[in-house]
Amino acid sequence: MELWRRAANPWGQDVLIGISWDLMWAAVFAGLAFTLAHAVWAKWLAPAASTDAGGGSSGAGLPAQILRHALSERVFHWVMSAAMLVLLITAFAPVIGIQFAWVTIHWIAGLILTATIVYHIIHAVFWQDFWAMWVNKADIEAGLAELSHMVGRNGTEVPKAAKYPIDHKMFHHGASVSGLTAIVTGIFMMLRIDTWLGAANPYLLDITDSTWGVVYVVHGISGVALFGLIITHIYFAIRPDKWWITKSMIYGFIGQDKYVENFDPNRWAIPGAAPQEERVPAGVGASLGSDDAVVGSSDAAVGSGDVESGSNDTAAGGGDLAVGGGDAAASGGDAAAGGGDAAAGGGDAAAGGGGAAATGESPSDSDDGLNESEAAS
Amino acid sequence: MAVIRDMIPAFELFQPTNVEDTIELLDRYGEDGWVLSGGMDSFDWFKDRIKRPAAVVDLVNVDELRGVRTTPDGVEIGALTTLTNVADHPELTADYSVLTDAASHIATPQIRNRGTLGGNLSQDTRCWYYRGGWPCYRAGGNTCYASAPTAMNREHCISGSSRCVAVNPSDSASALIALDAKFVIRGSRGERVVDAQDYFMRPSVDIERMTILKPGELLTTIRIPSTWAKATFYYEKIEDRKSWDFALMTIASAIRMSGGVIQDVRLAVNGVAPFPVRLEKAEQVVRGRTPSDDLGMEAGTVATEGAQPLRHNAYKIDLMRNLVRRAIRNSAEA
Amino acid sequence: MAEKLVGQDISPPDLRAKITGRAKYAEDFRADGMLFAKLLVSPMPHCRVRRIDASAALAMDGVVDILTADDVPSVDAPGEPCLTNEPLYEGEPILAVAAVDETTAADAIEKIRVDFEPLPFVLSPLDSLHPNGPNGRLDGNTMIGRELATIKWTEEDFAAAPEGSMPMGEAAAEWTVGDIDAGFAEAALILDETIVHQSLSHHPMEPRTTMAYWQNGKLYIHTSTQSLARTQSAIANMLDMDIEDVVMIAEYCGGGFGSKISGSTIMQVPAIFSRKVNRPVMLRITRYDETALGRARPGFQAQVKIGFRADGRITALDMYVLGDGGPYGRSGDNMSAGSTASLNYTPLSQRHRGVAVYTNTPPKAAQRGPGGAQIIGMLEPLMDKAARELGVDRLDLRRINAPEGDVLFGPRQTGLTSVHVKEAIDQGAELFGWEERLQRSGQRNGSKVTGVGVGVSPYTAGSRGFDGLLVIRPDGKVAIHQGIGNLGTHSIADTARAAADVLGLAWDDVEVIWGDTRRHLPWSSVQAGSQTTFAHTRANHAAGMDARRKLQEIAARDLGGQAEDYETSDGRVFRRSSPSRGMTLAQAARRAIELGGRYSGQELDEDLNDMTKRSATALAGTGLIAAARDNYQNEGGIQSWVVGFAEVELDVETGQVDIVKYSAVTDCGTVLHPRSLGGQVLGGSIQGMGIAMSQKWVFDPVWGIGFAHRLYTARPPGILDVPLDLDWAAVEIPDPQNPVGPKGIGEPPVGAGSAALTSAIADALGGKCLCRTPLTADVLLAEIEGREPAYGPLDLHV
Repeated sequence: MELWRRAANPWGQDVLIGISWDLMWAAVFAGLAFTLAHAVWAKWLAPAASTDAGGGSSGAGLPAQILRHALSERVFHWVMSAAMLVLLITAFAPVIGIQFAWVTIHWIAGLILTATIVYHIIHAVFWQDFWAMWVNKADIEAGLAELSHMVGRNGTEVPKAAKYPIDHKMFHHGASVSGLTAIVTGIFMMLRIDTWLGAANPYLLDITDSTWGVVYVVHGISGVALFGLIITHIYFAIRPDKWWITKSMIYGFIGQDKYVENFDPNRWAIPGAAPQEERVPAGVGASLGSDDAVVGSSDAAVGSGDVESGSNDTAAGGGDLAVGGGDAAASGGDAAAGGGDAAAGGGDAAAGGGGAAATGESPSDSDDGLNESEAAS
Repeated sequence: MAVIRDMIPAFELFQPTNVEDTIELLDRYGEDGWVLSGGMDSFDWFKDRIKRPAAVVDLVNVDELRGVRTTPDGVEIGALTTLTNVADHPELTADYSVLTDAASHIATPQIRNRGTLGGNLSQDTRCWYYRGGWPCYRAGGNTCYASAPTAMNREHCISGSSRCVAVNPSDSASALIALDAKFVIRGSRGERVVDAQDYFMRPSVDIERMTILKPGELLTTIRIPSTWAKATFYYEKIEDRKSWDFALMTIASAIRMSGGVIQDVRLAVNGVAPFPVRLEKAEQVVRGRTPSDDLGMEAGTVATEGAQPLRHNAYKIDLMRNLVRRAIRNSAEA
Repeated sequence: MAEKLVGQDISPPDLRAKITGRAKYAEDFRADGMLFAKLLVSPMPHCRVRRIDASAALAMDGVVDILTADDVPSVDAPGEPCLTNEPLYEGEPILAVAAVDETTAADAIEKIRVDFEPLPFVLSPLDSLHPNGPNGRLDGNTMIGRELATIKWTEEDFAAAPEGSMPMGEAAAEWTVGDIDAGFAEAALILDETIVHQSLSHHPMEPRTTMAYWQNGKLYIHTSTQSLARTQSAIANMLDMDIEDVVMIAEYCGGGFGSKISGSTIMQVPAIFSRKVNRPVMLRITRYDETALGRARPGFQAQVKIGFRADGRITALDMYVLGDGGPYGRSGDNMSAGSTASLNYTPLSQRHRGVAVYTNTPPKAAQRGPGGAQIIGMLEPLMDKAARELGVDRLDLRRINAPEGDVLFGPRQTGLTSVHVKEAIDQGAELFGWEERLQRSGQRNGSKVTGVGVGVSPYTAGSRGFDGLLVIRPDGKVAIHQGIGNLGTHSIADTARAAADVLGLAWDDVEVIWGDTRRHLPWSSVQAGSQTTFAHTRANHAAGMDARRKLQEIAARDLGGQAEDYETSDGRVFRRSSPSRGMTLAQAARRAIELGGRYSGQELDEDLNDMTKRSATALAGTGLIAAARDNYQNEGGIQSWVVGFAEVELDVETGQVDIVKYSAVTDCGTVLHPRSLGGQVLGGSIQGMGIAMSQKWVFDPVWGIGFAHRLYTARPPGILDVPLDLDWAAVEIPDPQNPVGPKGIGEPPVGAGSAALTSAIADALGGKCLCRTPLTADVLLAEIEGREPAYGPLDLHV
């Protein structure tokens, strides 16, 4: 298997020119293999649900439908995914022999993707809990517990999850790194063709052709990584046992029962949820260990289900949910570089599906997107 | 690896005697195979050691690919027919002189004696960057050197570019498009027939090929319907010297006059884009009208709308406009 | 009485061999155990070789050895080594591989890994003169006198130049005659023009292949070269050998045009390689390599200011010419442009300044009319422009400025042996139908507009002081030994006629001996500068006169009377008063052998060159030996002219130019061989037309790599580019310093062809001079359509 392609530049110097398409096949294979392995495992090999390690809420005081993703987050996710899919299709279909005029569509979709990601980053930094999407100690502990459970140590206590369990977060990390890399390299690559940004000038900025080769290789690697990640992402999204999470990215809500089963109100507080432990004050940039923001300030009340994003502001000082959200995900939910968070993470909350007892479900890695637990009012 | 030129590297040579065997060989070798007809394009690549197929399938003995045959609705030319034979053919000269004019302007008499019509249509571009072995997009690389701001591009395109600004070099292509010709392609999965202009690949779709031929396929026949037999034709080739050169531009037109008015028309140019272009908008302008120099100017102006010249080839806009003008004007004089 | 051979059409002795393909050129020779060599050349315009790893190549079956720069003599800068570790142009040879066949050698080259360090490069002289511009060489960017130097102009120099004009800073060389300020002050019209003339390759049909081997300490070398005797001595010099140890076989040469005057630098490679491996080595040069190392004509960037009196007389000519000097040597074209202009226009005052700047482009050498062809092609349309603006007849303007017999020209105010350019102008105007065609100037014929042009073009045409050598054999045949090369001009045969005519021989009785240094040849001129005809008709005439004297003496001795009483002709020497008293040449030859001494090569004139003496001595006793030096009159320079006339049609819709008619008349003294002369006049004219219309280089400026590697991209003219009915004529006034009468002719036609076209095209454009070459359709169409020119006024290699 070749990793990359090389060529002699006009001066006979050996330079990289791009990845070998073997890497595409490798990423596809990795994604599908993981998917298959997981499906097989989930169907026949998954242990029973883990015991409730506590930390859940009683459900009292919670609305029937709990807002997980506000409209702005959902719009972002789907526009971004559409752009991403168009990018992947225009990138790889020609490689496998489906020929059509792909370049213009590709960079236009790329610009759209860039715009959504820029929006997302700004939004996540200033309006959401930026750290909510970053892996922390609690995540790792939970992940290890999950892993133990998965390998059959029944009875291991698996803590309930934060809004985004570790597998979601790891996927997001992978996807965001790959995505950002693809975007940055992609924008540079637009200098090499005629676009709205200007006429082709391969010599702009005096970038050497060996450097360009690296740019192309990096773009290719991030692209194939995304390809592999997206395969797993879509797999999990369409799994029936995860469908409730996927629906929340469409409609915005999860059912109260799902919240109670799967989430630790300390780590993802909804107004009205009564945690069994002390609430931990949160704020932007809260230290590792505290998850998102929360803390029951009253303005977190979701209650009415009118979660229109508009109003929420996070204003009011403290504990605002809005800030909490963790989406540092630049590319929002795309496959992480280096493949499958899910694969890496192991600790698939889904696995802990066993752990979430009744439904065998838990928020799996259909992450991405904003976490705007915006309070309605 | 150091570079050396002018020494053909080794390859395995096959000389099948019929199309079926040819296709079988091409299919077997796929991307490692190469079709050799007259050799005018192939040997340049081989001598420069830039393209190095493992297997060369030489059509010299495939006699069934040669010849000009009358058919119930026109004429059929075997792809391996030499350009001299096309140019000199009495029926072609009598009825489809735009093609014989085109053929007789190709290269030199010596080259026409060996070069074939199919080869002329299928040949690779002569962008000097690409031909120099530079790792451009067309060569599988990640740059276009010819469209860079300081590049040497007087011969490159003014439209239709998509990362590649080379031009198609075939002098016969424009004539065959003007004749509504169809090309017959055979492969292991059977035969397909395409319109002449669809034979040529757009770089936006596949930047590495000039034609739609896939590895394992062979252009076997050029079919000319009788639609334009004995029409009013115009052909002109603009080149730096009077012989030998690839065209800066060619134009071919076929016009049916009726009562002093252009009843129907085909206009095709080559040398303006990475593929030969049928000028449908210009055709629309002139259809149904009386040909004149002014009408020609009008059509030419329409034809060149939206042209995107490079640093050294803005003259091609004027040249294209004027060639269209002359084609239209000619039918007034004819 | 045998008719004089001078002036007749006689097929040259090599014609049959050439037409039937039996002529053997350098690459046709084989020797036992011969190896083939291939070159590894530089991929960059300027770089340093850091490391060579040839191990994989040397391990291949059939690969015998490599030769690197360390194996060849080093050369003092700015001389050109035959292999180098600091290539100065793309395509420069770095090393050679020898293998049992070419396929193996080529495959071996690919297996060699060379580690290069790119170095700064420059393509255009003006870029290097810019204060921040790179230098083509690490040790300077020009020569001042004989020293390498660096000249940088200042920012002020560049700023001072008006938009589109050439800046003019410090010059490397300069000369002035008269007072140009006064000249401009009295001018009624001043033209100040910026000019670009492209560089272009020589592109002889035969690339410079060489095969060499050693035997008993002697080097045997088959090579493609213009000269013979002088190439033999050049090889001896290059390899630091005695000339007698060099055996050179070069009977045919497929063209040189100045790029193979004394052989070529690369011919050292097989010579040295074959000594290293002790086997014959053939280095076949391919067209790709030939374009890189096969020499080129230096292009110019120039500013020209001309002051004219109301009647068209040039009062002042001020030229500044930058030459594209290539990476090696000392390019003189840009300065000879000044002397050529001085001669052609005899301006009342003149200043000439120039810098030949080193560039990382193929090495430069004289190309047929070096400096002259370029400048004439560019100046003639300006003469027309002045004529137009002054209301003076275009030919009158040439006439009023043309040199006459007593002219003194150039920086050293040299005189001439003869000049009849005015006659050539008049005769040419008549032949061409100038008056009638001029009426059509500017006329439209559909989309075509007619232009009529003229190009008056001089070039050097002779040298002196070389030796003739002939043997009258005992069988009565006369062997005329020629040390000149057979570069395709037929001068080997044509100049021999001078000796034959002195003796009144029939051509069938003459055998021309040429092409192999073992055949005992006399010292000769180089075959360059169009000098051979003049130099060797004189040298052969001298040898003929020596033979005649000796025949007269032998006859008088045997048959009585005085030597002066005897005549030679028709194969006999006989008494003028009673022709039956005489002897055949055969008898005379036998007598000469018997008599020995000065009659048969045992005693020789002191003033003969050593090479001639050795040859005559080797021939001694084989017949009547005549050997003499050309000691004829030696005053002034020798120059010939061609005046070319052209009518063209320029299609204003496409920019294409058709040549409707071309005629040329030459002043080159007596016509030696009409058909051959016609070939030179028209062939050279066509070459000039190619310069004006199609031929050039193109370089990518970012990578410094060129694209005109093959003939189809370089675009030299072909026979189908010109009309079938080209015609020519000659003034035919003998040169008084040549007893035979002719002057040389090879070079003047190039400027004539080029200028006739640049002049005609400018005329078709209504008098607009584009001041650049070549005038391709895109350049012309952009001008016609009023578009911004695609190229800057000083852009070279575009």
